[in-house]
Amino acid sequence: MRIFQMQRYSAIALLVFLTIHMIVVHYPPFHVDFTRIIERMGQPLWKAIDIAFLFFVLMHALTGTYAVIIDWERFYAYRRELVGAAALIFILAFVYGARTIWAFQPPA
Amino acid sequence: MYKSTGFISFVLRRLTGVALVIYLFLHMWVIGSVNSGSEAFDARLALVQTPIFKLAEIALLAAVVYHAFDGIRLLIVHYVGVTEYRKSLFYAAFAVAALLTIAGGIPILLFAFQG
Amino acid sequence: MTTNGSRPRMVTVRVQRFNPDVDEKPYFDEFQVELTPAKTILDALHEIKTAQDGSVTYRRSCRHAICGSCAMYVNGKNILVCNTPLRDKIDEEGTVTIRPLPYLPIIKDLVVDRSSFWEQYERVKPWLIPSADVPEKEFRMSSEEVAALNKAETCIMCGACYSACQVIAMNKRYVGPHALLKAFLRVLDPRDMAPSERLADVGDQDGVFRCHTIFNCIDACPKDLDPTKAIETLRKLAQKRQAFEAARRDRQRMLNEPIASS
Repeated sequence: MRIFQMQRYSAIALLVFLTIHMIVVHYPPFHVDFTRIIERMGQPLWKAIDIAFLFFVLMHALTGTYAVIIDWERFYAYRRELVGAAALIFILAFVYGARTIWAFQPPA
Repeated sequence: MYKSTGFISFVLRRLTGVALVIYLFLHMWVIGSVNSGSEAFDARLALVQTPIFKLAEIALLAAVVYHAFDGIRLLIVHYVGVTEYRKSLFYAAFAVAALLTIAGGIPILLFAFQG
Repeated sequence: MTTNGSRPRMVTVRVQRFNPDVDEKPYFDEFQVELTPAKTILDALHEIKTAQDGSVTYRRSCRHAICGSCAMYVNGKNILVCNTPLRDKIDEEGTVTIRPLPYLPIIKDLVVDRSSFWEQYERVKPWLIPSADVPEKEFRMSSEEVAALNKAETCIMCGACYSACQVIAMNKRYVGPHALLKAFLRVLDPRDMAPSERLADVGDQDGVFRCHTIFNCIDACPKDLDPTKAIETLRKLAQKRQAFEAARRDRQRMLNEPIASS
C-alpha cells in the first residue's frame, strides 16, 4: 500500500512540477547552453523547485519500475531485494541530481 | 491477450513508462556534465541538439503527455468512480495527448529545421 | 437471412481441441451446425458432442446462467455460452470460434484448471464473520447500504473476469477481481465483524494495489458487475481502515435501534 501511495502522490506532484518544467525549460524550444539557463538556475527558489521535482520524479520512476518488475511472477518473490535496490538507486541518483542542480552557479 | 481499450491503455502506459525511466537517467547524465564545468556542459548539450534529437524529442513529448493524461484518467476513475465511462475516458485521454503532442511538436519541428 | 425453407443456413463452429495426453499443442476442429433463431452456443456444443464428435469436452451444468460453469472465450471475449445466442456471435466469415478461458492451464479441450481461482477465493475468507452474540431481532440493512454493494452478491463465480484480467495473465499471485469483489461484499456488509482484518489482507501489493485498472473484468462480466469499482473502493477504505472498523462497531451497536427510514 505504501508503495502504491508513493507512486500515486508523486504522480500528482509531477502533474504540477512537470508542467512547470516543460513550460519554463522547453517552451518555446531554443538552443540550450549554460549561459541561457543560468539566469533561471542561478536563483535559489528555482534550485529548490528543481530539487523537489527531482525527488518526486525519482520516486515515481522507481516505484513504477518496481511495479512493472513484480507484475512478473518470476520476480515477485524478490520484492525485498527490489525495494532495497530501488532505495539505493534513489539515494545515489538523488545525491547526484542534487549535486548537479547545485552546480549551476553563476560564473564568478 | 484479452484485447480491449483497457488493454491498449495498459500497454501504452507500460511502454511510455519504461521509456521515460530510461530517458530520465540519460537526461540526468547529460545535465550532470555541468559538474565538470560549463564548457563540458555546453559540449555535451551540443551533442543532443542535432535535428535528429529534436525529432526524437517529439516522441518523448508524446510519451510524456500520454503517460500524464493516462494518469489523470486513472485519478478520475479512482476519485470520482466513473468506471462506466471507461471507454470514453480512454479516448478522451488519448485525443488530448495527441492534440498536445501536435501543438507542442510544431514549435520543436520549426526549431529543428531552422537550424 | 437467405434461407427459403429448403436449405438450412449452416454456421461453422471452430472449437479449440487439446488432449494433454496426446497433443503437443492446441488445434482447431471445425463443425457445421444449423442456425436456428433460439439456438445458444451451448446448444451448438451439445449438438456437436451428441451428433458429430463425442470426444469434445466442456463444462456445463444449469444452462440458465447461474451455475457459472460454462464461461468460455468466444470470438475474443469471455462469455457464458449458455445464455448467448449463436446468431449473435457469428463473425464476418460466418464462423464462431470457441476457446477455453485464456491464461489458465487446459485440462482438456474447453475445460480449464481453475485451482488458482478457487485458492484466491478461499484466501479472502468469502464467508460472513458475524458478531459473537446472536442478535434478538433481524438485522435490517438500510437501502443505502444495499445500494452500496452494487449487486456484488449476484456474482456466480464463473471465472470470466479472472481469466480476462491482464494482471492474472502475468502473475497468479494476484488475488484477482472475483475474490476482491467478494472481499468488497464482505467488507461493506454491515453484519460483518472483521472489515479491518479483511482490508489489511487485501490492501496489500498482491491485493487491490496490484490492480492496474485495465477494466477487462467489467468488460468480461456476464452479470454486468463492476469489480474495478469494488477494487477502487477497497483501496480507499484500506487507507483508513481503523476509522472504518470503528464506524462498523457503531453500526453494530445500532443493531437494535430502528434504522432511519428513507
